[in-house]
This record gives sequence, structure tokens and C-alpha cells, in this order.
Amino acid sequence: MKRSVAWLVVPTLVVLLALVIYPTIYLWCMMFFSFHPARDPQPVFVGLKNFQTLTGDVEAASSIVTMLVLVGITIPVQIVLGMLIAMLFSSRNTHGKLGLKVLILIPMMIPAVIIGINWKMIFFSHGPLNELLMSLGISPQPWLSAPFGNTSLTLVSLGILDVWQWTPFVALAVMSGIEGLPKDVYEAASLDGASERQILRHVALPMIKGIIVIVLLLRLIDSLRIFDVIYMLTYGGPGIATTTLPFYIFKTGFALMSLHPGYGYAALLSVVLLAISTCISMIVMRLLHIERLIWE
Amino acid sequence: MRTLAVLLTVISWALLIVYLLPFIWLLGVSFKPIGEWGEPHLVPKSPTLKNYEEVLFTGGIYGVRGHFPAATPYLINSVITASAVALLTTLLGSMTAYAIQRYRAGGTGLASWILSLRMIPAVAILLPLVVMTKSLGIYDSLLGLILVYPLIALPITTWFMIGSFKSIPRDVDEAALVDGCTDLQAFFMIVLPQSTVGLATAATFAFLFCWGEFLIPLLLAPSESAMPLTVYAGYFAQQYGVLWGPMSAAAIVIAIPVIMIAVMIQKYVLRGLTLGFVR
Repeated sequence: MKRSVAWLVVPTLVVLLALVIYPTIYLWCMMFFSFHPARDPQPVFVGLKNFQTLTGDVEAASSIVTMLVLVGITIPVQIVLGMLIAMLFSSRNTHGKLGLKVLILIPMMIPAVIIGINWKMIFFSHGPLNELLMSLGISPQPWLSAPFGNTSLTLVSLGILDVWQWTPFVALAVMSGIEGLPKDVYEAASLDGASERQILRHVALPMIKGIIVIVLLLRLIDSLRIFDVIYMLTYGGPGIATTTLPFYIFKTGFALMSLHPGYGYAALLSVVLLAISTCISMIVMRLLHIERLIWE
Repeated sequence: MRTLAVLLTVISWALLIVYLLPFIWLLGVSFKPIGEWGEPHLVPKSPTLKNYEEVLFTGGIYGVRGHFPAATPYLINSVITASAVALLTTLLGSMTAYAIQRYRAGGTGLASWILSLRMIPAVAILLPLVVMTKSLGIYDSLLGLILVYPLIALPITTWFMIGSFKSIPRDVDEAALVDGCTDLQAFFMIVLPQSTVGLATAATFAFLFCWGEFLIPLLLAPSESAMPLTVYAGYFAQQYGVLWGPMSAAAIVIAIPVIMIAVMIQKYVLRGLTLGFVR
């Protein structure tokens, strides 16, 4: 490579390295310290104490479980619903495709804070959803407040929001897969007397499997970053019912309102989260064949 | 066959409208006068622009605890940071993308490293970034946000531009090189001007991501001098959460530009969000 071309990369490298290297070093050092702005204003070296805290920390364990439960339920639902919507919308007989495609972008494109604000009102105890239920003769539900200790409903509410927000992403990706199929495949199949549903099932579905895998992995990565909607909708509550690992890091390191508040412990939790996300993104890279994407 | 077409079209559109009901309701509340806010009907009985007027220009006074400021300074903060980052990261990203796509700069290592940054959960590295910006004296300033946002925007613009340059035939640069251009001249004077659509789309994506960003400014820009519209709306919902009308208007003010832009770049949305893996 010529030296002049290398200069094209330098500014990006400088910016990104500055934003990544210092934080990484800081986290790796800080996880051996105890540092709380009110309790010990100067960092104190505590060795492996934060690791001991982590092994006995119920809230940390629960935050990881909550995250897994949320992901384990919402992603399959999104994929099934998204595929159904995609098949309906991309049928030869459906008209106004462009309008459908543009409007279904709304939930995934508007900022997550707005979605949080929107659904906080929807789920409000005297809000439109409960009013609707009552007019149908169903008793109103405590979507966010859970007064009788039944906190799992709040996680369900968060799941509903996430499914609403991201199903369009799956639908659009699958639609692009269906539309990207070569026309002659359809023609050959319909000449053989296959119905549209048979074509979708036996010809299109296997071919869009690759897209489903990519969508699944991207959703997995993104779900490790869910923050805004939790902050707006439940603030991790009631209790710790909707506290996921990213939100637990926020509560420990920034809001200083968990059982083990402090920068040192938050740094350790951050390293754990980074390790999880790095594992998944390495799988993504493996599956994606970067060389082919860029150069072929 | 005709009845099937009518049936499928009607079902599709009905489904879409039901799906979007929560947002349609939000839109409705933003035009409702006080007293109608909590009601489930979608269309305001006596529509008003008062909510927008209060949020955008005058601020509102609802008793002692309901005095909220107008959004104007925060709107300006959002526009400045998002535009600056869009310009900066589109320029840097396209340079890097060209070096990677045409000259294999850094091999797969560099490309995948940049891609992996797109996948980092920001909350994990924000604590050190707060410390870093504080020690550099750019904490709680527009400059601080403009320097930190590239972390989310640069991977997006770089990967988007890699896709754009891939679709420009190599003959274009080779002809320029034969004509006596240097490598950099060929890039800046021949290839870059040919990829205006790609550049504009990449910049739009960077703008959208920064415009909607909430967590980073929540922790890096806590005061009025740099706080963007998203964080303003967040605080609004926490402190004056009963004022549904103005709160919905604030939410719609943030959402409308996003929807308008999304409609314009509809063709590229999927490519942008999946970094080129799904077209």
C-alpha cells in the first residue's frame, strides 16, 4: 500500500483509538479499585474484592437472567411475527407496497426515548390501553406498577414494547430477501404448478435463512444495548424486575443507587458486559465473511 | 384473483394501522387540549396547537410544580451537534472506506475492528469517557459531544461508504491515475464527487443516530449549555410526566424530522441499519 493512501486512514484511527484505548485501560485498572465519590473520594486499591462482590451479588445475577429472558422471548417472537408480516406485505397480490414499507419504518426509526415516552402513557394505570380493556369488559392491568408483587408483568410490558419496536426490522429484512430472489426461480416453480404459498415455503424460505441468521445476531447485539426504553419506562423497576446488565451498570456507576454502588465495581461489570458483547460480535464476524462483503 | 388482491391489500393496510395505533394516539395527544389528554380516543375533539406553542416557544406554566422551559436551546444543541458529527464522520469515514475498499488498508483486521465498535454497548465505556472529557475540560459542552459521538457515527459512515465505493467501478480511479492524478487526487477530485448520493445518505444516517442518541448526552451533557432535545424530553417525562399534551408535542417534534428523513432514504434504511449485510 502506498504511503499517501495510509493518510486517509489516520484521522479515523486517531479519533477511534482515543475514544476506545483510554476507556479500556481505565476499566481494566479501575476494576481492582474501590472508588465512590462520597465514600472514598480517592480510588483505593482493593485487589480482588470487586470480584468477590460479583460472585455474591444477587442483583448482578438477576440482571443477567433478566436480560437473557427478555432476549430469549422477544427475539423469537419478533422473527415469527416479522416473517408473517413480510410474507403478507410482499405477496404479489398486495398493493401499495411502498407505502406499507415506508410506514412500518416508524417504530424502528424514531428515537428510543420517544418510544419510551409513548408507551409509558399507553401503559399508564388510567391510560388508553386500560381504558380500552375496560370498554371490552376486561379488568385493567397494572402494566408498570405491579402493586401486588407480581413483577413479571412489568417485564412482559417491556417485552411488548421491544417486540413492537423491532418486529418491523425483521419484516423489512425478510421482505428484502424475498424481493432479492431471482425471478426465474418463481417462474420455474409456478410453471411446475406450485402455489404462491408453496413457493414461499419450499423455495423462498430456505433462501432467506441466511438473512434470518444475520437479523438474529444483529438483534442479539442490539439487545445488549437496550437502555433508553428501560430508563424511560420502568427505571429498572419495580424493585429490580426490569434491571438488565447495562442498566445495572448505570445504576451502580452513575446513579449510585444499587446495593454495591461505586466506580470500581461498575468497571468490573462493564468488563463483563464487554466480554459478552465481544463474544457475540466475534461470532457475527465469523459468519459474515467480511472479505466477500468488502472486496468481491 | 381480484378478490384475493383486494382482501390481501385490505388486511395488510388494516394490520399496519393497528400496528401504528400507539404512535397515532401519541400524535393525537399532542393536539389535544388539557382535560382530553388521558382519554383513549385518537382524534382530538377540539384540536389545538397550544402544546406545540408552549414546548417550542413560550414554555408552560401549570401550577407551581409544572413550570417547564421551552425546548428552543435544546433543539439548537441537537441540530448543531448532529450536523457537525454528520459532516465530520462522513468525511473521515469516506476517506477510510476508500483506503479499505480500494487499497485493502489494514486488511480485514481494520475493517472488522471498526465494525466491532458499532456493536459495543455504550454504557460500558461511558464512565471512563466522562472522566476523560472532564480532565480535558470538554465535559458538558457541545465540543465534547461532537468528539464522542464519532464512536457511534464513524463505524456507520465508514461501512456505508465501503458499500458505496464498491459500486463505483475501478476503471474510474484507474483512468484518473493514468491521466496523471496522484492517489489522493484521484480520490478527492474524481471518486468523491461521483459518490454524492452515498455521501449524502451516510451523512443522513450519522445525523439520525446522533439526533436520537440519549444515553451518551444524558451522562456527558447534563446542563442546558449542551443538552440535546432527547435528554430534554427525558427530563420532561420524569419531572412533568403528568403534562401529557406538551410531553407528546416534544416527542413529536423529535420524531417528525426522523420520519421525514426515513421516508426520503427508505431505499437505504436496511443497508444502513445492518451495515450493508442486508440490502
